[in-house]
Amino acid sequence: MTNTEAKTTLSVTIDGEVFEARPGELLIEACERAGTYIPRFCYHSRMKPVGMCRMCLVEVDTGRGPALQPACMLPCSDGMTVSTETPGTRKVQAGILEYLLINHPLDCPVCDKGGECPLQDQTVAYGPGESRFVEEKRHYEKPIPINDNVFLDRERCILCDRCTRFADTVAGDKLIHFMDRGNNTQVNTFPDEPFASYFSGNTVQICPVGALTARPYRFKARPWDLDETVSTAWTDSAGARVAVQSSRDKVIRLLGIDSDPVNWGWLSDKERFAFEALNSDDRLTAPLTRVGDHLVPTGWSTALERAVSLLSDADPDRVAVIGGARLTNESQYAWAKLAKGVIGTDNVDSQLADGLDPELVLGLPRATIDEACTPGGTIILCGPDPKEEIGSLYLRLRHAVVHDDARLIELTPTATGLSPVAAHSLHPRPGEVADLARALVEAANGGPAVSAAGVSAEEISSAAVAIDGSVTIIIGRASLAESADCVTDAALQLAALPGSRFLSALRRGNIHGALDSGLAPGLLPGRTTIEAGAARFADAWPSTPASRGLDTAGILAAAADGRIDVLVLLGSDPINDFAGRPLAAAALETVPNVIALDMLVNDSIAMAADVVLAASGATESAGTFTNLEGRISVCRQRVTPPGTARADWMIASEIARRLGFDLGFDSVESIRAEIAAVSVVHSGLDEKALAEALVDGLLIGGSGDIMVPGVVGVSPSAHDAYSLRLVASRSMYDDGVALRNSPSSRGLARSVTLRLNPTDFDKIGVDRGTVVRTESAVGRLLVPVEPDPGVPVGSAVLPWAAPGSPANTLIDPFSTVTDVRVERA
Amino acid sequence: MADPLDYIRGFGVTFKKLFEERLTLQYRGGKGKPGKPDEKREKGLRFHGRHVLNRYEDGMEKCIGCELCAGVCPAKCIYVRGADNDPDNPTSPGERFGYVYQINYLRCIHCDLCVEACPTQAITESKLFEFSFTNRNDAIYTKNELLVDDNGKPRWLPWEDWRDGEDEHTSAWMRATSPAGDHRYEGVVAWSGELGHGVRSPEVGQSDSADESSRPEMATTEVEQ
Amino acid sequence: MPTHAYVPHAPGYVDNDGPKIITKRFPLEDSYTLERSEATGGYAGLRAALDRTPAEVHTEVRDATLLGRGGAGFPAGIKWGFLPPGKFPYYLVVNGDESEPGTYKDRLLMERDPHQVIEGCLITCYALGLAQCFLYVRGEMALAQERIARALNDAYAAGYVGRNILGTDFSVDITLSWGAGAYIVGEETALIESLEGNRGMPRLKPPFFPAAIGLYGQPTIVNNIETMSNLPWLMTNGAEQYKTYGSETSPGTRLFAVSGHVRRPGVYEVEQGVTTFRELFYGDNFCQGIREGHELKMFIPGGGSAPWFFPEQLDFPLEARPVGAGGSMLGSGAIVVMDETTDAVKAALRLVRFYARESCGKCTPCREGTTWEERILQRIVDGEGRPSDIDLLLDVADNISPGPYPVAAHPDAGLDAIPFPPRQTTICPLGPSSVAPITSTIRRFRHEYEAKITRRNSIAVSAGSVEVAS
Repeated sequence: MTNTEAKTTLSVTIDGEVFEARPGELLIEACERAGTYIPRFCYHSRMKPVGMCRMCLVEVDTGRGPALQPACMLPCSDGMTVSTETPGTRKVQAGILEYLLINHPLDCPVCDKGGECPLQDQTVAYGPGESRFVEEKRHYEKPIPINDNVFLDRERCILCDRCTRFADTVAGDKLIHFMDRGNNTQVNTFPDEPFASYFSGNTVQICPVGALTARPYRFKARPWDLDETVSTAWTDSAGARVAVQSSRDKVIRLLGIDSDPVNWGWLSDKERFAFEALNSDDRLTAPLTRVGDHLVPTGWSTALERAVSLLSDADPDRVAVIGGARLTNESQYAWAKLAKGVIGTDNVDSQLADGLDPELVLGLPRATIDEACTPGGTIILCGPDPKEEIGSLYLRLRHAVVHDDARLIELTPTATGLSPVAAHSLHPRPGEVADLARALVEAANGGPAVSAAGVSAEEISSAAVAIDGSVTIIIGRASLAESADCVTDAALQLAALPGSRFLSALRRGNIHGALDSGLAPGLLPGRTTIEAGAARFADAWPSTPASRGLDTAGILAAAADGRIDVLVLLGSDPINDFAGRPLAAAALETVPNVIALDMLVNDSIAMAADVVLAASGATESAGTFTNLEGRISVCRQRVTPPGTARADWMIASEIARRLGFDLGFDSVESIRAEIAAVSVVHSGLDEKALAEALVDGLLIGGSGDIMVPGVVGVSPSAHDAYSLRLVASRSMYDDGVALRNSPSSRGLARSVTLRLNPTDFDKIGVDRGTVVRTESAVGRLLVPVEPDPGVPVGSAVLPWAAPGSPANTLIDPFSTVTDVRVERA
Repeated sequence: MADPLDYIRGFGVTFKKLFEERLTLQYRGGKGKPGKPDEKREKGLRFHGRHVLNRYEDGMEKCIGCELCAGVCPAKCIYVRGADNDPDNPTSPGERFGYVYQINYLRCIHCDLCVEACPTQAITESKLFEFSFTNRNDAIYTKNELLVDDNGKPRWLPWEDWRDGEDEHTSAWMRATSPAGDHRYEGVVAWSGELGHGVRSPEVGQSDSADESSRPEMATTEVEQ
Repeated sequence: MPTHAYVPHAPGYVDNDGPKIITKRFPLEDSYTLERSEATGGYAGLRAALDRTPAEVHTEVRDATLLGRGGAGFPAGIKWGFLPPGKFPYYLVVNGDESEPGTYKDRLLMERDPHQVIEGCLITCYALGLAQCFLYVRGEMALAQERIARALNDAYAAGYVGRNILGTDFSVDITLSWGAGAYIVGEETALIESLEGNRGMPRLKPPFFPAAIGLYGQPTIVNNIETMSNLPWLMTNGAEQYKTYGSETSPGTRLFAVSGHVRRPGVYEVEQGVTTFRELFYGDNFCQGIREGHELKMFIPGGGSAPWFFPEQLDFPLEARPVGAGGSMLGSGAIVVMDETTDAVKAALRLVRFYARESCGKCTPCREGTTWEERILQRIVDGEGRPSDIDLLLDVADNISPGPYPVAAHPDAGLDAIPFPPRQTTICPLGPSSVAPITSTIRRFRHEYEAKITRRNSIAVSAGSVEVAS
């Protein structure tokens, strides 16, 4: 071999067989690819090896004679000889297992891990038959709660550093650590500081023993009576792949699946534990109809008759559909066909004024998560705090920044969960992010740096220097108190950066599937518009809307004016979720008829619904999910829906049939076949391709017929000296109906506080925690106030849907920014 | 062509047997009439009857809800669910107890594998097999029905036929190794139960089977039994 | 005052007749002050170094074959050469976390002559082109910390440390760090972790030695206090002069801290390779023999981690290589002498307990194995041992350090020495260190173990008839 030829593989002899390993590959991974399993506890393929447990010691000969080396720390080298079966290796493995077991309690029958425990399995495979340790084992207090959901049993812990490493290097919440030393070494939290991490459930999943257990699964079942299927987490739009496990027709646990392009096996606790809402006692098991002030259970035929009579009596233009992000792609398509094709209304919107212009999301060049996380690339965050809204995306972005040398530039109104690792955090004044984006792009393209939106020229110019390599812009709504147009303009400015791609950070469940299914005004399924796509749907659909309908803000305004007769709430709760509570309340009070499809009775349904159709949840019906990259992954049915609840597409078919039209669907496969036939972008979506992409999903690329919209040209009103600009941002745990029905998440919603820069805080002249009056043009709230140096001067930050203090009370959906006055109460 | 009288001759056997003495034992489910007592056969030493769930001497339940019995059951007749013990008022020692315990006797084949699998000797089998339920709900024994009462005796359900003394014959066997792993308790009978035929001799320490000289004095000098 | 006598204000130090390379100021009462140091040739070595090019200084140190004094005995000049070129900044970390059982020589060097240490650091920094040095001093050494801190302040004020040292364009900062009380931080990678603010747990090496990836991910040289203290003399007098002391392979002198059952325990500066253990223990200007009326039973030649030696090994020279071939190590120069009144099992237990307590808990064999060894030994000492315990102990030890463990020859039993070093399943040598007292004593004094175990059984039998539950 000459020097010019780079060697692409290394020859490693594993138990006598030559194997071609990749350069830089760790020995433990090469052996595994070669079919030789080396036992391990501390090694985890998604974390840096530490070589602590010593279980993977094997005899390695690199020319200097065989020596015991930890396979998890040793990169393969050419000519290496590995023996995993020699007496020396076996003796050490048995010895290590005996060591691990001397202080490990033999309470396997009690332990939740029993039956799926790497320590059990490897003891059977590699361990000594018996223990020679006759003394008393080490004792600690049995499980201690380290946060609201996770218990730690230090007696069972084998100190593999997986949970602590995860908390430190993956999640960035270094709240658990080793303490004490020698035989008394233990994992614990710092005194009076719980392991308050949004990702604590992952430590339970990667624990190789039963030392960490999670409340939702604790003692609920044993591994051998679990049934499992693959699905996709539905609480946010990352599309994290999960294994849904059930026992006795009840979902009792979700585990992350290591999907290389998506979540790497990690889940946020919300994704992991949100299934509890599906098991809630308050789940709708039958349709409800309104009798007086009450919603009473009824039969399906009665409920459907009533819904159909409301729909058939109404003028199509006076029918509107809000919501749909909860549904599977197939149900979304069925509802799009019902609403736009059969009923004939274009007043359909799956976003509740908390999203972006769909044509912006679909029209801009899109990036995948992998492209966003390119090593050495640049990530520009012009959207929400991923840590609060899309946990799995946060973990991937954090890894790219911390371990893969990507640079993060934040253009957010306040500090985010990624700010500690961001290269540059620029905080524009609310409503002015487009000005900042323009200044940044000009500086990056060689122009002079000028100050913009309250950010100094120096900060902008130093951030501009950092823009290099592949550029991905994450767009979304950092604040629901400023209009989506601000983000549209900023995104269009940033699109001028050479080679830039966009990753949507719309957070709501299957919202990207809803946009692809045409659940937005002016759109038809398959990333096309009612004008461009009408011809393609001529055969499959009875009709398509002739003109563009209203978005959610428009629908609610029309409803409040009495111009809507029937409002369909497709798994939506405008009172709590719409950015503008006063308008939503007025609309629901005025609109004469409301039909709702949902799993639980939310505030809007309780207030206004006439008919509630019981829908099945994510693990109860089959379908597919589209994540924020446009990646389609399957959600298989694992359990039966409670009572007579049924899938949303079945309800759509049933309503259509009673309206006199057959949607033509008898299974989700038949819906998928129609989607693949009518949509230009979904042509590759067939059952075989889906089955082959079971873990990684099928990426649907392209913009279809969508054109990028033009610049809106927002100009926020002048800021008067007496008021503060409101920033309303979402937090991981809020007061949503699903979390209210999840016992493990219910208590986690933070109590609301209005956060001000200390300068502004001092002007009010009250103590920290004092309740103040916060008043905007449309509403008023009484909330406690506290100073926070992370908030820029002139801004006021209020979490979105915190219990008791809904921020949307203050918001007018039609104004660019929301100014509030904060005064002593 | 058969003789038509053959039909009548055939009944001859039946009529003859009608007046002979019966060979079967009389059993009337405990409702024998005076002069005609009912009789029950002695059961074998290792007869497998319906189960009981045992308690410790202090009244704590032995079942920890581990589901090993349910896992091993070839007839899938056992349903167990565990739950967290209330630390202030525990049902069983340790963290976990059997919150739900049901055995469906329409399915049970009395193979005793559940008894083999039980890590705490919580489930053992009695000699009783005579029960005659009339509906499915009665056939599914719940935890309260299976659990021994405060005296350590199986509960007598209305549709079961217990005779005096039969409640003694439950095939419990006792565990002899130390539960704590303390070497001073090695070889000492640490647990005993109120049910069963007696107490097994203690198990020797795992490594010391050939090392008899090193342990025996512990039994009397250090541990009060 | 005889020259070979205790120096009252330097407790532990014995002034003998030998050459003085690093203890020359010890007899002076104010040896730790800058004034006294300067008056007795302090910082002359630094001036001598600054007159030469860094490469020349490096060559001088390499030529002198200055062996590291921390325990491994690796030549400092060669270690310095491992720094990868161009990957700046480099760091120098000076290891003053001296905690090996039996050793107290670095403490004296820091207490009695802190300026010599600082001067050595400066010479090293100059030779390697470093601008930052970290001095890591053991947490418990209050006086050493105080004197080093004061010396460092004085040296900064006098222009020896800091910007443009002695008017040249050579600038160095020396940062003083204190340990928090952990033996394992004496291991170089654990020390680096501790300096970075992490829990002091060793890193696995290979793949990366500190010289490649060390403090804050940068190439780092870790040297011992005593190694540093040799440099000023070496610079002033040159490598040729240095090599006139000691043997050819181990030139110069070394400090040995002798403790235990000798008449005059203390720290001695001894020519390496020339002096033998016998001379050190029995020589008039050294320890002056075993205490009255007793005889030598065994001794530990190189700190608690070293396998033990016995009277047959008395004629080994004080030099790393022969001691290593003889089945032990010279280590950090701490010699513990035990006479025949010492209970070998209890002595082994005492050392094993030290390692069990000081294990950092990172890797399994050390965390669990050392404690298990301690508990078996404790059981034997308490009279609860079982005949199988001796083999169990050896096997538990074998799982920490597989294969034949280094041990001294036992001519009476016809057993040869097994040379140093041991193999290990652990990350760092702490775990294998706990094996040394066990294998050493079981090989030589198995009968003492057996006596303790049999005694216990004889008591049990004499207690009368035993009812065994059946």
